[in-house]
This record gives sequence, structure tokens and C-alpha cells, in this order.
Amino acid sequence: MLQEAQQVVSGISGADIATAAKYIAAGLCMGIGAIGSAIGEGIAAAHALDGMARQPEMAGRLMTTMVLGQAITESTGIYSLLIAIVLLFVMK
Amino acid sequence: MSEHLGEKLILHIPVGSGGFDIDIITMIMSWIVIGLLVALALLFRRSLRQPVDAKPNRIQATLDLLLQFIESQLTSNFASEKLARELFPFIGTLFLFILFSNWISIIPYFESPTKDLNVTFSFALLVFFMSQFYAVRLNGVRRYIKGFMEPYAFLLPLNVIGLVGKPLSHAFRLFGNMFGGAIMLSIIYSFTFLSFGFPLIVNLFYGLFEGAIQAFVFAILAVAYINAAVET
Repeated sequence: MLQEAQQVVSGISGADIATAAKYIAAGLCMGIGAIGSAIGEGIAAAHALDGMARQPEMAGRLMTTMVLGQAITESTGIYSLLIAIVLLFVMK
Repeated sequence: MSEHLGEKLILHIPVGSGGFDIDIITMIMSWIVIGLLVALALLFRRSLRQPVDAKPNRIQATLDLLLQFIESQLTSNFASEKLARELFPFIGTLFLFILFSNWISIIPYFESPTKDLNVTFSFALLVFFMSQFYAVRLNGVRRYIKGFMEPYAFLLPLNVIGLVGKPLSHAFRLFGNMFGGAIMLSIIYSFTFLSFGFPLIVNLFYGLFEGAIQAFVFAILAVAYINAAVET
């Protein structure tokens, strides 16, 4: 039993552990990183809708500002995506 | 599964001891987009040859609508109307080129040039130098340098970091969105049980909808950055 366990353990090299850690890190990075920008974009859209419902004549201007604000909010999510890409494709 | 995203056709040009690499696919796709835009411009120009007071035909009315949309966005976002009129060709070209670069990816075997970080970064640098040029030209050198000391002199490092951060985030935003869409597409294509019809819808979503939104966002952010640089 102990010998089997030792064999299994010795079959895993340090590079395997590094690869596994890389994939786990990329998944965590994307998953946790997307939360903030998703909530932020949702808040921006909700308030823009409030404004449009109150003043429909301002809808065009609100739409532009909302998209601009959402694009800036999205950049944190994009940064986490970039780090996930670097972890998956660039790091060896 | 997504390994082909990393491998690219690279042309190495040796100059001296070092040299530099050129991504052939991005180059070819950029030239295709340029050719497409020029061909469309020549095609549409032919339909404009008519008396000025004549009733506009369908193509002319559509183009008028597009140009009026861009112009109304510019005039409502720029501080002065003169600046908006001056930068209208620049922002319009940027918007149209990025729009067609994003849209070309819906054709099979075509890749959007904006999927390459070098392309988006050069656009962002173009906007950055444009904004600094206009800031110096409209405000003068003294007010331009004094703008970095606002509101206090010891905030100079923070202002410089903010200056450098703008083109970085501007470039990474477009690249990240386009590359992320390409990764999503390659993952969906690798699911064979979804391969009938579904990838087409996703491709149209990422190509047409997301591409148009991102081109609009890039152009509007360019306007916002130039305006912010001019107003300080």
C-alpha cells in the first residue's frame, strides 16, 4: 500500500505540478476577475435604464455615456483575461 | 484544442545582428481591409455623381446617415465644434478601419487584424500622440507642462502614470475583446455536438455585434482622451 502510494507520488514530476498550477491559476484568474467588471457593468446599465425611463428624450446621450462607462469598467476584466492568456499560452 | 491561436506565420527580416519579425497574416488581412475600404469608397463615390439639388438615392442616404451619426457623436463629445470638425476625418477613419477589421472575421479563414496586439497598440499610440499634439498646439507649451502639476506639484508622478496608462488600457481593451472572442469561438468549434448552426450564430454575435460595439467604444474613447488632454 505504502509502496504503491510512493510509486504514484514519484510519477508526478515538478513540471506536472507547475502545469496543473498554471491551469488552476488561469481558471481562478478569469473566474474571480470577471465578477467585479460584470457587477460594475450591470450597475451602469441599471442606472442608465432608470435615467432613460425617467427622461426618454435623453436616451441617445445616456446610451453613449453608458457604453463608454462600461468599456472603462470592463478593462479590469480584460486585464484578468490577459493574465489568463499569458498563463495559458505564453508561460512554459 | 486552442493551440493554433499561439502559432502564427512569422516572417523574420534580418537587419544587422538582430532584425525584426513581421506577422504575415496580420499584414495581409490589414491590406485586405484597406483594399475593401478603398474599393467601397470608389464604388460609393460613383453614386454621388449627380446634381447637388437632386433627390439623394438610397446609397447616398445611407452614407449620409452614417456620417451624420459619427458627426453628432463628435460634436456632442468635443469641447469645441472647430476641434470636432478638424478631427472628424481622423476619428472616422479609425472607426471605419476597426469596424471592418472586426467584421472581416465572420468570413471563414479570414482573421481580424485587431486580434493582434501590435495593431491595436499602434492605433492607441496614434491616438496618444494626436492628443498630446493637440494639447500642446491649443494650450501652448507652458500650460501643457503646467497641466502635469495640477492640482498639486507633488502629484506629477501620478499624472505621468495616468498619461502612460491611457494608451495601454486603450490598446489592451480592443485586443482583449477580439482575442477573447476568438478563444470562445475556437472552444465552441471544438465541441462537435454543437457544430451544426450554433457556431454560425456565435460567430455572427462576436463578429458583427461585438465588433461594432468595440469599434464604437474605441472611437469614442479616442475622442474622450483627446478631449481630456486638450481641456487640462
